[in-house]
Amino acid sequence: MMDILQDIKYVIFYPSFFVMIIFPGLIAGGLFVLFAIWFERKIAARVQMRVGPYYVSRFGGIAQLLADAIRVALQEIIIPAGVNPTLYVIAPIFPLLFAFLPLAFLPIGVIPEQGSVFSAYYHSFFDPGVNMGVIAALPTEYSLIAVLAVEAAYPIFIILQAWATNNRFALVGAVREAYLSVAYDVLILMSVIATAVEYHTLDVAKVVQSGIPGIVANPLAAFVFFVGLIMATSRFPFEIVEAESELVTGPATEYSGLLFLLAMGGSYFGTYVYALYFAAVFLGGWYPLSGFPGAVILFLKAAVIVLFSVFLRSVYGRYRIDQALRNSWRLLLPVALASIVLGIVGGWLWIR
Amino acid sequence: MTAQPNVFTMDATQIDIVPIEGELNVGPQHPGSGHLRIYVKLNGDIIEKAELDVGYVHRSVEKLAEVRNYMHLIPLVERPAILDSIHMNLGYILALEKIMGVDVPDRAQYLRSLAAEINRIASHLYGTGILAVFLGHSTGFMWGFGDREVWVEVLQALTGARVTNSYIIPGGVRRDLTPTIKEMIEKAIRYQRKRIPEWKRIFLNNPNIRARLENVGVMSKEQAIAWGAVGPNLRGSGVYYDVRKFEPYAAYDRLDFEIPVYKEGDAYARVHVRFNEIEESMKIIEQIIKEIPQGNILSDRFFKQIPPTRLKKHYETHGKIVFPGYYASFRPPKGEAISRVEAARGELVYYLNSDGSPKPYRLRMVTPSYRTIYVFEQLAKGARYADLVAIYGSLDYFPPEADR
Repeated sequence: MMDILQDIKYVIFYPSFFVMIIFPGLIAGGLFVLFAIWFERKIAARVQMRVGPYYVSRFGGIAQLLADAIRVALQEIIIPAGVNPTLYVIAPIFPLLFAFLPLAFLPIGVIPEQGSVFSAYYHSFFDPGVNMGVIAALPTEYSLIAVLAVEAAYPIFIILQAWATNNRFALVGAVREAYLSVAYDVLILMSVIATAVEYHTLDVAKVVQSGIPGIVANPLAAFVFFVGLIMATSRFPFEIVEAESELVTGPATEYSGLLFLLAMGGSYFGTYVYALYFAAVFLGGWYPLSGFPGAVILFLKAAVIVLFSVFLRSVYGRYRIDQALRNSWRLLLPVALASIVLGIVGGWLWIR
Repeated sequence: MTAQPNVFTMDATQIDIVPIEGELNVGPQHPGSGHLRIYVKLNGDIIEKAELDVGYVHRSVEKLAEVRNYMHLIPLVERPAILDSIHMNLGYILALEKIMGVDVPDRAQYLRSLAAEINRIASHLYGTGILAVFLGHSTGFMWGFGDREVWVEVLQALTGARVTNSYIIPGGVRRDLTPTIKEMIEKAIRYQRKRIPEWKRIFLNNPNIRARLENVGVMSKEQAIAWGAVGPNLRGSGVYYDVRKFEPYAAYDRLDFEIPVYKEGDAYARVHVRFNEIEESMKIIEQIIKEIPQGNILSDRFFKQIPPTRLKKHYETHGKIVFPGYYASFRPPKGEAISRVEAARGELVYYLNSDGSPKPYRLRMVTPSYRTIYVFEQLAKGARYADLVAIYGSLDYFPPEADR
């Protein structure tokens, strides 16, 4: 009997399963995204002299989002005439998948040799870079770029989605996404290169275990990455792809029901995963804790980033696509270059 | 070898635009169209032509006017712009009074100005809210509608209805100002004065909003005159013109106020004109409350026809006018008249032709939004697609008002 329980415990806490499915992956992530949307509505309501979600559940209508999600998921799915039905149905799954998949490479904590629920996996998830085990679905020494490499596929599937729906507003949105993705991917990559140079590593775990948060070591890179994060995940003021008053909902215009939920969920999951990455690289991650408590610290830091980025909705409108591009190339690219210089100097003089 | 342009010194206007042509049907079922279809011809991100397909909410007000009594027309003419109903109502009544030859008591004149200015503030806040949501600024949207609520409540207390007030009747107004309403108005002014700096912080001076509005939809002074722009859009282009100053009606010749004029002629200037007008309107309202003369609110000619018992029951206790039987189907003398009022969106013209029957022979209304259609089409040419909604919102174009 005890053996079976031990086996179940072993399976549940097996990092590849635990990270992707339970925490901070699908279950925790899904609940948190619902919470973030609730928070977005509630904080915007607070700024805008409204009440926001109120009736569903006792505490501030927190179950409203669950109710909304169930309602939308059970709505009729309308497949427009003149589209390829197979492509139309599978297209919105990919953006969500590729928003979520990068989590596999991201270490969310380290495993001490003794005394943690994860200690049993110390040897199988050993990372020679930090000389400890790491809690990651796929431990790799190149996690810093592996995450971004997978995340970079996201815009391609947004374009596929727009193409599959054969709607003009969707196509205009897709073109905007294509232009924008080049701009923000460059910013994000450059700030990460700056960090990699400064810490002499491509391993997120090693960056965190150095004990110096990236925002202290290289504030420019942190700033550029944060702006890139907001652009990449379509948060205000860069909510240009879905621009409601111009493009209805951009690439998701034709979708309804569950497919709409999938199409719109991608950007929120993207924000969440990017925020976890940002919290690990720039905000000190789980340090100095290890094991599960460390993962919770990382999650809380990421939560603050997500909640801040959704709060921006109540402050800003949206930029025009040309303004966003001009700002990112003219203003932020020099800052990103400066962050690389700062990274070289910091890596040479300070961080060994 | 051809010389390459230096990409770092290049201006946005110098970049070659690869022609990718196409059309977009914006509306009538579109979050950014309102009640009309905008047929947009695009070249890349640049609008080559925007055609306004008006008439989606046409109500045939002018034709209906020929088969209805003069009194029954009051609720009808204010329908095209229910958020500016006092002005729609006032213009019609002014034309009618010219034909009938009625003189309106002073107190009623002041009350007309009061209601009109309250309505102007409410309408401008509504327009700003719509502009804000077009730019994706949800806070401006909610604030615009939230602050408007205060003024709509005041109008409700004064006239008995939130939007379709039907407040102004031939010879005067329907209800008198009471001390409670005065207090309410003072409170509303205090609230709005406190809110305007907050508006400036989050909306007008927001770098994001400034980027979206500055140098967008620029209309020069000459263009504004040639294209027939009216109201705040005209004044945003540097033309000093306001019917309230040039051809005063109601009590405006006795009130002291400024006409805000901006030279820039872009969307940002138009929004600023509206905000300054809100402040000016509040000054006007304050003066009216202070200076309003005592007296009757309906011309003696009609007032004498109200039975004394009903007068005692309604007018002396509640300050409400009960319509005399004369109104039911009166016949004004033969004649025609034109009236002009400065509605919230600009100059509103009524032409009324009476053939001596209880129904007008012809009613013609030229609404400010109707005059904006051409301006909109001209300004949209050469703008970016995302600017379509910025121009739309900044012109405060209201489709039902244009369609009538």
